[in-house]
Amino acid sequence: MKWANVRLFASNFWHNATTPKTFYLLYSIFILLTAFAAVSGIQNHITQNDIRQDHQIKARQSWEANPDKHPHRMAHFGTFAFRVNPSLGIFDYGLESFTGSTVFLEAHRQNSVNFSEATFSTGTLRFGELSLALLLQLVLPLILFFIGFSSIAADKQNGTLKIVLSQGGNWKEILFGKSIGLFGISTLFFIPAILVVVITLLVLENQMTNSLQWFRVSLIGLGYLAFLFVISTFTIVVSASSSSPKDALLRLLGIWLLLVVLLPKSAQAMGNYWFPTPTKLAFQSAIEKEEIQKGDSHNPNDPHYNKLRDSVLAVHNVSKVTDLPFNYSGFVMREGEKITSTLYKKHHANLVSTYTNQNNITRFSSFINPFTAIKQLSMTIAGTDFSSYIDFQNQADDYRYQLSQTMNELQMEYISPKKESGSEGKTHVVDHEHWEEFSDFHHKPIEFGASFKEAIPAIISILLWTIIAFALLLFTSKRAKAI
Amino acid sequence: MIKYRLFLQQCIRSKEVWISLLLITLLGILSIIIGSKHLSRQQEAITEVKMYQEQHFDRQVSLHNEDLGLLLYYLKFAHINTLNPLAGISIGQGDINPTVKRITIKTFEAQKFDTDLVNPMNLQSGNLDLSFVIIYLFPLLVIVLTFNVISEETETGTWRLMSIQTKSKLGFIVSKLLIRLGLLFVALIFLFCLAKFILNIPINSGFLSILGLSMLYIIFWFTLTFFVIVFKKSSGFNALLLLSIWLVLIVLLPAGINAYISSKYPVPEALSTAIAQRDGYHTKWDTDKLATIEKFYQHYPQFKKYGYPTDGFNWLWYYAMQQMGDDDSKTQQNALSEKIELRERTSKQIASVIPNMYIQLAFNLSAGTSMSQHIEYLNETEAFHERLRLFFYPKIFEEQHADTIDWNQFTPEYYNTKANLKPVQDMLPLLLASVFMMLISIPMVRRL
Repeated sequence: MKWANVRLFASNFWHNATTPKTFYLLYSIFILLTAFAAVSGIQNHITQNDIRQDHQIKARQSWEANPDKHPHRMAHFGTFAFRVNPSLGIFDYGLESFTGSTVFLEAHRQNSVNFSEATFSTGTLRFGELSLALLLQLVLPLILFFIGFSSIAADKQNGTLKIVLSQGGNWKEILFGKSIGLFGISTLFFIPAILVVVITLLVLENQMTNSLQWFRVSLIGLGYLAFLFVISTFTIVVSASSSSPKDALLRLLGIWLLLVVLLPKSAQAMGNYWFPTPTKLAFQSAIEKEEIQKGDSHNPNDPHYNKLRDSVLAVHNVSKVTDLPFNYSGFVMREGEKITSTLYKKHHANLVSTYTNQNNITRFSSFINPFTAIKQLSMTIAGTDFSSYIDFQNQADDYRYQLSQTMNELQMEYISPKKESGSEGKTHVVDHEHWEEFSDFHHKPIEFGASFKEAIPAIISILLWTIIAFALLLFTSKRAKAI
Repeated sequence: MIKYRLFLQQCIRSKEVWISLLLITLLGILSIIIGSKHLSRQQEAITEVKMYQEQHFDRQVSLHNEDLGLLLYYLKFAHINTLNPLAGISIGQGDINPTVKRITIKTFEAQKFDTDLVNPMNLQSGNLDLSFVIIYLFPLLVIVLTFNVISEETETGTWRLMSIQTKSKLGFIVSKLLIRLGLLFVALIFLFCLAKFILNIPINSGFLSILGLSMLYIIFWFTLTFFVIVFKKSSGFNALLLLSIWLVLIVLLPAGINAYISSKYPVPEALSTAIAQRDGYHTKWDTDKLATIEKFYQHYPQFKKYGYPTDGFNWLWYYAMQQMGDDDSKTQQNALSEKIELRERTSKQIASVIPNMYIQLAFNLSAGTSMSQHIEYLNETEAFHERLRLFFYPKIFEEQHADTIDWNQFTPEYYNTKANLKPVQDMLPLLLASVFMMLISIPMVRRL
């Protein structure tokens, strides 16, 4: 295989593909779509984050505006955690529209994360949302199919292929040359999209964008390049192994439909079928049941808490809880919170692992579907995937736990032991300075390491697909026929 | 008749036709199974809640017999959105919106938008239900079956022969297309029959309207391909053009519109309402009790007889505070409802000119899985909540004991979604679109 010949085929392909007017039409349409997707992505990212930040501040202000009061009232006053959209959300929406943005954090209760875009949308949201990632994952491959489907099949049909082969070109050179040519064209489409992302990130540069952000961008960039290379070679290989251009086009479209629409949908449906999600009631009542067994702090005659009381009294060598050196009610609530939180965490972890099992079918289907591979890689590294959502939930719940335990401890320390129960009134209160001392919730974007770990199957499969692409080129070059 | 039989033979002789018909039938069956799975899960949730509610009441009532105020703090009453079996055909928003809501008589706004347990990946990937098969895949089948109806004749050289032998060239093409339309209708009706039996759907206006809309939708795609193929371009060109139209109509336009709507109409009102209802209730712990109770009586003058107990903690004051969570966030709530309505109106308006979006919304509406119907259900849940409040408030304020109340009357309540179908009117846009496509094809037909 001579590189000079490969270059010749590549530049010939490039020239042939980019000369017709239809190419410019297609290209301009794609660029317009890119511009539209970029503008709406950036706008959406900025407005959503402004809205959430704004409300995070508002919620905080009313938290701090609380007068001196009983800390347990503050534990129920609670606060809100608003999920921040990561910077790369401008590029890949991922699950953004389907995950809630707001969760109310209070003592004893783990509330649901509410107000996703989807809850306020009509059923048409399921047609998808136009993002840069969608253009690159769905539309660009189709365009490459349209540009490349006839590249070899047409030469075969009109006999030029025989001439080329008899004049010293060989299959390997043709296949590699044309693949590289098509890949080169794909970068014409890809570069504007990634440039928009890079420029936007530079402009939006704030404390959230750290150096690892650029790792993310590079990884996504490399991932897409590999993906586009795979798609380019597939197009050429299919074209080489089809007898007519029409045949090649139909095959490619069949592949697109199967890999982009049918397979991903069925993979997720299968996951959902094999690992059914429990109903909310079943989930909650399972926790409730265990809570009752472990001890119900609401029940004044609960044996667990009676035992606890007796042992506490014995340790401090007193006979009544009001003689203890701390507020007993705060102590019991701290104990109760610990028990219920551990229980909730356990059940929630089970739930998340059910979800993970469901999603794993999709995640691992990237080994048979390069489209899924890039989709997973893209949203995971962009930080808009399932794991980053769970990361947010965990952060919010940890904060919730901190909040109620801090309030319980304030109660133990500052509320008189004589105040047995109740949190009403102005006599048994804690200074409002304490409210400011407890810092606000800040949603930290998921760490690069965690995203990377999550993306490993997708990254490996993209690498494998690249190797398969090379292997296919070699394999086809041995088998292909000129007629 | 012989003509049609020959056309039919000619059409089904091709392997691709068989494969694609078989494929769509299989996918259709799969989608019906997925739909029935969805229904059975919802049904399971409903059965569960019925059983649970009884145990839950027994336990709580025995724990807090003497303290009705505390009992009502814990008690959750179920309000169920009755399942429409048509939801198995068009799951719509049915996977994200809960069909069962369990509420306490405390601030309603704090409970209104609580979500079910859902895996966001499932939501994003969307449901492979029958509506998906009809909206996404049937058009593709129409394209596969028709893109070369004319060009094939030109490319194999039979067009001229045919054109001198037939009385009407148009009639010839139309009968070829009608055969194909017939085949698709057979597949479609087969799938609907199957759905009817598997999902136990009664034959009612909703079912027939979905079937009618689907048929019209397929006819629309036929008129569209007819318009393209009468230009007598090559098969390859037709295929490419038709698929591009499919891509634009079914993927790009809706996706663009969704991106537009979400960035044009964000919903900050939801977050403001959440904060307002929290502050509305919680700040009352620190403000003047008398003022709170006064405000409560402004809302419910009929309870004034219970006086103004301001000493320490009491349930009247407590529930008055809870009521303020709802009452003090009214402005925000109204703004939120308006925004939701605005979004839906915009989405509907745009969808009315894009057949696939239009038909998706119409399906959802017939199946009771649309957004507006969910909002109606939520409003109805609010009314249910209000009835509970009015029933329990006086009993709590009179400090009645729980055993004076007949708890058996509190079985879960059912709500029936209203579909408000106007079959003829609903089908009009699609009909008009088809007629429009036919009309603009006429000048080309003359030149055949």
